[in-house]
Amino acid sequence: MNIQSRKRELFKEFAPRLETTSTVSKIYISFLIAIILVGIYAFYLQMSEGQIVTGMRDNVVWGIYEVNFILLVCISYSGAFISGILHFFHTPWKTAIARIVEIITVLSLLIGPIYILLCMGRLDRLHYLFMYPRIQSPITWDIIAIITDIVACFIYLYLTFIPDFAILRDHCEERDIPKWVKKMYKTLAIGYQDTKTQRDRLHKITRTMSAIIIVLAIVAYTVLAWIFSLTLQPGWNSTIFAPYFIVGGLFSGVAFIIVTMYLVRKFYKLEKYIRKMHFKVGGIILLILAMLYGYFTFTEYFSRWFSHKAIDTDLLDKLFTRYFWEFILANYVGILGPIGILFFKKLRTINWVTIASVIALVGIWINRYLIVIPTLETPYVPIQDTRVDYIFYAASWVEIALSFAGIAAFLLMFTLIGKLVPLVPMNYILDSHLETNKVKQKVNKEISE
Amino acid sequence: MKSNLYNHTFFISIIAALLLCTNGIAQQIDLSNYSMRFVFKTVKQADNSRLLEVSFIGFNDADRKDKLPVFGAEIQFLNVLNDEEIILGSSKTSKEGTAQLILLENQKYATDEQGYINLKARFNSTDALSIEEADIMVKDLHLDLNLSEIDSVKTVTLTAFTINSLGDKIPVSDLDVIINLNTMLSKMNINEGTIIDGTYTFEMTESFSGNTKGELTISSIIEENDEYGNIIQEKKVQWGTINKQVKFNDHSLWTKAAPIWMYVLLSILLLGVYINFIYTIVNLVKIKREGDNIKTEPKKNYTVY
Repeated sequence: MNIQSRKRELFKEFAPRLETTSTVSKIYISFLIAIILVGIYAFYLQMSEGQIVTGMRDNVVWGIYEVNFILLVCISYSGAFISGILHFFHTPWKTAIARIVEIITVLSLLIGPIYILLCMGRLDRLHYLFMYPRIQSPITWDIIAIITDIVACFIYLYLTFIPDFAILRDHCEERDIPKWVKKMYKTLAIGYQDTKTQRDRLHKITRTMSAIIIVLAIVAYTVLAWIFSLTLQPGWNSTIFAPYFIVGGLFSGVAFIIVTMYLVRKFYKLEKYIRKMHFKVGGIILLILAMLYGYFTFTEYFSRWFSHKAIDTDLLDKLFTRYFWEFILANYVGILGPIGILFFKKLRTINWVTIASVIALVGIWINRYLIVIPTLETPYVPIQDTRVDYIFYAASWVEIALSFAGIAAFLLMFTLIGKLVPLVPMNYILDSHLETNKVKQKVNKEISE
Repeated sequence: MKSNLYNHTFFISIIAALLLCTNGIAQQIDLSNYSMRFVFKTVKQADNSRLLEVSFIGFNDADRKDKLPVFGAEIQFLNVLNDEEIILGSSKTSKEGTAQLILLENQKYATDEQGYINLKARFNSTDALSIEEADIMVKDLHLDLNLSEIDSVKTVTLTAFTINSLGDKIPVSDLDVIINLNTMLSKMNINEGTIIDGTYTFEMTESFSGNTKGELTISSIIEENDEYGNIIQEKKVQWGTINKQVKFNDHSLWTKAAPIWMYVLLSILLLGVYINFIYTIVNLVKIKREGDNIKTEPKKNYTVY
C-alpha cells in the first residue's frame, strides 16, 4: 500500500474526533470546568485569607498539596522514563501507548509543581527563589531539575508530534476543521515533508532527547527524594530514599498509565490499537515494580524499627496507632493487593490489571501522605503548650477542592489535547507499517530466489 | 439528686477548717530531741588571710539524718592569751548554720611562749539554746609556692616555715602536703608528699591544658595538721599545654557560598543538558529550512522508501 494513501486513511480514521464534539463531551468538559472554578475560588480564599484556611500550621507545614506534588511529579518522571525507554530501545508495542505516556508526562509536570507553590505562605516572595538561590539547598536543585525537565519533556513531546502535525496539516484542508487549528498544524509542523534527510534528522534528535529525559528523570527523582532525606527528620533521613522514590515513582507511574490506557481505550474507542497485550505487559511490569517497592518499603520501616532510635520509635508508634488503617491500606493493601492480583496469569486481564493499578495508585497516594504528615507531626524539638490543631493535621475543604481542581485540570487538558491531535501517534503506526512491509518484501524476495 | 451536704454541717465545717488552716496543724519542733554540734575550724588561705568558721547545727537524736541548722545565731571569735580575751569579730550563722570571719594578712595575733595562737568561738546562750564554745590552737605557718622550669622541667617547690619573734624563718619538717591542680569544678590531686627540712619538690611531667589562656592554678594544701591547722597556698603559672585544637569541619553547606565542586558539577550537568536542547533546536531549524526550500521547488514526491 502507498504510504500517502495510508496517511490519508489514518487521517480519516482519527479526524472525526478532531472535528466534532459530542454532547456528552460537552457536559463532561463543563463538569471539569466547574470543578476547576471551585478550585479557583478556593485558591482566591487561600490567597486573601492566608494559610489559615488550610490545615497546614506551625508543625505540619506541608499537607496534601505536598502529597499531590510528589505523586504528580513522580508520575511525570516515571512517564518520561518509560517514554524514553520505549523510544530509545525501539520497543515494538510503543505505538499504542507512547503518546498517552508523553502527554501524561507533560501534564503532570505542569500541574504538580503548582501544588508546591500552594504550600508557600508568601507567594509574593516567589521570585526570591530565583533572585537569591542557594546552590547548596536541595530546594534550589529541585527547582532547577523541574524547570529543566519541563523544558526537556516539552521538546521531546513536540518532536514526537511533528510528523503527526505534518500529516494533519497535509490533510486537514479536506475536512471541516477550524481555521485556527489548521494554522496551528501548519505552524507546528515547521515545514516537515517527511523527506529522508528530515526523517533521519528528526529520528536522531528524538533518540538523543529520549536518552536525555531518561537521565533527567533519574536525576530529578533523586533530587526530589533528597528534599526529604537530606534533613534529619525521622522517617525521611534515609540513604535508600532516592532509589525508594524512583521505584515508588515508577510503580505509581505505570499504574497511572494503565488506568489512563483503560479510560482512553474505552472512551476514544481505540481497542484496535490498545490491546490486551499492552495490559498484560503493563501488568507484569507493575507486578515486578510492586515487589521491588514492597521490598524497599519493608527495608525502610524494618531498619527504623530495629535501630530503635527514640524519635523513630515515636514515629512508628504514631504510624501504628493514629495512622493504623492508613498504614495498612498503603503498605499492605496497596502493595500486596496488586501483587496478589497480578501474580496469577489468569487475572492478567484488562479489567483486573486496571483494578490492580487503581489499588496501587490509591495505596501510593496514602503512602506519600504517611511519608509527609506523620513525620511533620513528630518534630525533634517538642513544642509545649501548643494547640492540638497545630500539632495534628487535617486537610481543609480548600485543600481538597484544589486537589480535585488539579485532577480536573489534568483531565481537561488531556481531553483538549485529544481533540487537537490523535492519541495514538500516526507516525508510529506508519513506522510499524513500513517495518512490516520491509519484512514482507524480504520474505518474498527470499521465496522468489 | 438532692444534695445532702447540708445534713452534715458540723463535719463539713471541720473538713473545711482543716483544709484552710494549714498553719494550725504544722508540727512544732522540740529542741530537746536535738543535740547541738558546735564545730570550729580555721584555714589559712592562699592570700594569707585567715578564715574562721563555725558550723552550728542540731542533730536529731532519733534520726541523725534530721539536721537543724541554727540560723541567725551570733558567734563571737576571740584570740585568747592566758585569761585575756581579745575580740577578733563576730558573725551570724547563715541558713546552713555557718558563721564565718575572715581576718586579713596583716591581722596581729597574741601568741603564747611556744608560738601558738589560741582562737576561740563562742555562742552566748539564749532562751532556747545554751552557751557553746570551741577553741583551736594553731601556729602560724607560711607556705611559699615556687613554680619554675629547671632544665626545661616544670618543677614545683614548696617551702614551709614559721617566723620567730626575731623575724627569722624557721623551716618545718614532717608535714604532709597535697598538691592539687584547680579545675573548673573541683581540685585534681596531682601529687602528695611530706615536707622535710622545710622543702618539698616535685617535677610535673604530665601535661595539662589549663584555662583558655593556658594558665594552670596549682595549690598546695596542708589539711588538719595538729600543729598548724589548715593551710592553703596557690599560684598561677603559664604551664598549660595548649593541645592542638580539634578543628571542627564547618558544614560547608551552611556557609554563604556553596562548595566549588558543587558549582562545577551543576554547571557540567546543566551545560550538558542545555547544549543538547540547543542542538535539538538547531536541527529543528534545519528541518524547517529544508521544508521551506521544498515549498519553493516544483512539487514532487519526496517520500522515498
